[in-house]
Amino acid sequence: MSTGREHESKWPGPVVSFSRWLENLGETAFAYLLLTPVFVLLGAIAFYPLLRTFELSLFTGVLGAGEPTFVGLQNYVDLFTGAANPSLPGSVTFLPDVTTSGSFPFVHVDGWVRSTLIVTLLFTLVSVSFETIIGFGQALILDKDFYGRRWVRAAIIIPWAIPLVIQGMIFYLMFHPSTGFLTSYLAPLGLVAETNTLNDPASTFLIITVADIWKTSAFMALLILAGLQSIDRNLYDVAKVAGASPWQQFKLITFPLVLPTLIIAVLFRTINAMRIYGLIDTVSSCTTVPSLSCMVVETFYTSRGLSSAIAFVTAGIVGMIASVVIYQRYKEGF
Amino acid sequence: MATTDGSNDSTESEGGPLARWTSSVIENQEKRDRLYRALFIVAAGFFLVTTLFPFYWLLVLALTPTSQILTGDWSLPIIGIEFPHPQGFNVYAFVEMFEQVPFHLFMFNSFVLAISTTVIVLAVATLAGYVFGRLEFPGRGLLMLVVLMISYFPPAAFLVPLFDAFLGNAVVIPFLGIELFESPRLVNTPASMVLPFSALFLPLAIFILTTFYAQIPDGLEDAARVEGTTRLGALVRVIMPLSAPGLATAAVLTFITVYNEYFFSSIMALENNPENWSPLLGGILSYQTQYTTEFNLMAAASIVGVLPIVIIVIVAQERIVSGLTAGGLKE
Repeated sequence: MSTGREHESKWPGPVVSFSRWLENLGETAFAYLLLTPVFVLLGAIAFYPLLRTFELSLFTGVLGAGEPTFVGLQNYVDLFTGAANPSLPGSVTFLPDVTTSGSFPFVHVDGWVRSTLIVTLLFTLVSVSFETIIGFGQALILDKDFYGRRWVRAAIIIPWAIPLVIQGMIFYLMFHPSTGFLTSYLAPLGLVAETNTLNDPASTFLIITVADIWKTSAFMALLILAGLQSIDRNLYDVAKVAGASPWQQFKLITFPLVLPTLIIAVLFRTINAMRIYGLIDTVSSCTTVPSLSCMVVETFYTSRGLSSAIAFVTAGIVGMIASVVIYQRYKEGF
Repeated sequence: MATTDGSNDSTESEGGPLARWTSSVIENQEKRDRLYRALFIVAAGFFLVTTLFPFYWLLVLALTPTSQILTGDWSLPIIGIEFPHPQGFNVYAFVEMFEQVPFHLFMFNSFVLAISTTVIVLAVATLAGYVFGRLEFPGRGLLMLVVLMISYFPPAAFLVPLFDAFLGNAVVIPFLGIELFESPRLVNTPASMVLPFSALFLPLAIFILTTFYAQIPDGLEDAARVEGTTRLGALVRVIMPLSAPGLATAAVLTFITVYNEYFFSSIMALENNPENWSPLLGGILSYQTQYTTEFNLMAAASIVGVLPIVIIVIVAQERIVSGLTAGGLKE
C-alpha cells in the first residue's frame, strides 16, 4: 500500500522530464523515434520472415529427414528443372511441359492447368483484364449524377467487402453437384465439366476467375472513379460546344486523362491477384488449382526448403511488378 | 419510341425547310440523349443484377429446406424455366445453424481479432502518419518506400518463418545462425493472427493518415504549440480531432480487411474450433467439412457472416471510397 503511494507521488516526475526530453529532441531524431514502433513491427513480421525465408530456401528441409543441410540454390534449380515436381502434391508441376512439333502452333504447352506458375500468371492476366474493363464500366456509371446513386454504389462495393470465405462459399454452392444450378446452364456450352465440376482443374480455374472478377471489379471501379472525378469538367463543356460526340469525349478527354490512374490501378491489382489462395481453398482445393501461394502452404509440412523456395519465387515476381509501381510513383514525385 | 418519333416528323414537316432542319437536329439530339440514357440504365441494371444475384442465391438456399435442395429442381412453377427461387420459407435454418456449430463464438473471435488489430494499427499508424505527413527529415522518402514495398508482398512470403516462430521455436538471425530468443507458443492464440494482420495492414492505414494529416494547416498546429502544448500534445489535441474522418476511414478499412482475411486466419488457428481462436472462416468451413449435405445451413451462416460487412458498407461507404482511393493511389 505505502510503496504504491510512494510510487504514485514519484510518477509525474519522470513523465515530465521525459516529455521535456522529447520536446527538446531535434526534428530528425523525433521523427525516427516516432517511427520506431512501425519498424519494430514490420521488422519482426515482414523483414525478418522475408530474409529467413530466403535462408531456409537454401537448405534441404524435408521433414523427418534429419538436420537441414545447406544446398545452395538446389531447391530453385529443382523447381525450374522439374526435379521437385514429385514433391508437389498430386500431379502438380511447377513449370508446364513444353513440347515442340512441326504442326501449328509449333510450341505446345501440355498440362498448363497443372502448372503452378502458369495457373497463377494466367489467373492474374485474365482476372485483372476483365476487372479493368468491367471496373471501367462501373466507374463510368458511378461518375454520373442520378437518383439512387448512393445505393447503386453501395451495391457495387459490397462484393469487394465480403469475406473471402463467404465469396468462396457462394461459388462453391453455385457449382456443387447437389445444389448448383449453373452447371446445367454452362456444361452444354462446354465451359465447365458436366460432372464433378469442382474437382475438374479447368472448370475450377474458370469458376475461380469469374468469382474473383465478381468480387474485385468494384475495387478497380473505385480507383478509376477517383481518376475520373479529378478530370476538369470544363473540358467536357468545351468539347460539347465544339460538337464532340460522347464517344469522342471519351476517346479524347476521359481515357487519356484517366490513363495514369488506370496504370497504377492495374499494377496494384496484378500484385494482389498473384496472392490467390483463400478462394481456391474454399471453392475447391489447392491440388485442383495449384496457385503459388497454395503450393507454399501445401509443401509447408513436407519440405520447408521447397516451400520457402516457392515463397521466395512468389515474392520475387511480386517484387518485380512492385518496382514498376514504385518507379511510376517516384516519377510522379513521391 | 420509333413510332412516336415518326409521327413527330410528319407533323413537323408542315413547316418550312429551315424549321424542319432545326427541329430534326433538336430531335436527333433528344433521340441521342434518350439512347444514351437507355444504354446507361441497361448497364447500371446489369451491374446491379450481377453483383446482387449471388446474395439472392444465398437467401434462396437458406430458405429452401434441404430435402427440396437435394431434388435439384429449380424450375419455376408455371413457365418451367430453371431459375433459383425459394421453395418454402424455412426461417428455422437461421436457428439450426447455431445449434450445429457455435457460430456466434466464431463471430466473436472475428470481432475481437478485428477490433484489437484496428486499435494497434491506428496507434502505430497515427505516429507514422504524423511523421510522414508533417515532418521534414532526411530519409523520409526512402522509409515511405520501404513501408509501401512491404504492403506489396504476398503473405505467403512471410509464412514459413512466422509459423515456425509462433510454434515456439527459436528466432534465428538469418545467415548468422545466432539464436535471439525463443518465442512463446502463439499458435491458437489471438496474437498469432493480430501480429501478422497489424504488420500487413499497417501500410494502408499509414498512407491514409499521412494524406489526412498533411492537409491540416500548419498554423493550427503552431497556435497550439505557442500555447505551450508539446508536439505530441498538438497531435492528440489538434491534428487527430481535425482528421477524424481520416481516422474513421483507416479504422473501417482495417476492420473490414481483418474480418475478411483468409491466409493467416486459416493457418494460425490449427483447428477450426472457437477455442483455438478460429475466426468466422473456421465457422463457415465447419459446415462445409462436417455437415456436407446441410447446404441451407452453409447459406444461412454465410448470410449471418456477411451482415456486419453489409451494414458497415451502407453506413460508411464514403469513408471506404475515400480510403481506398487515398491508400490505393496515394492522393
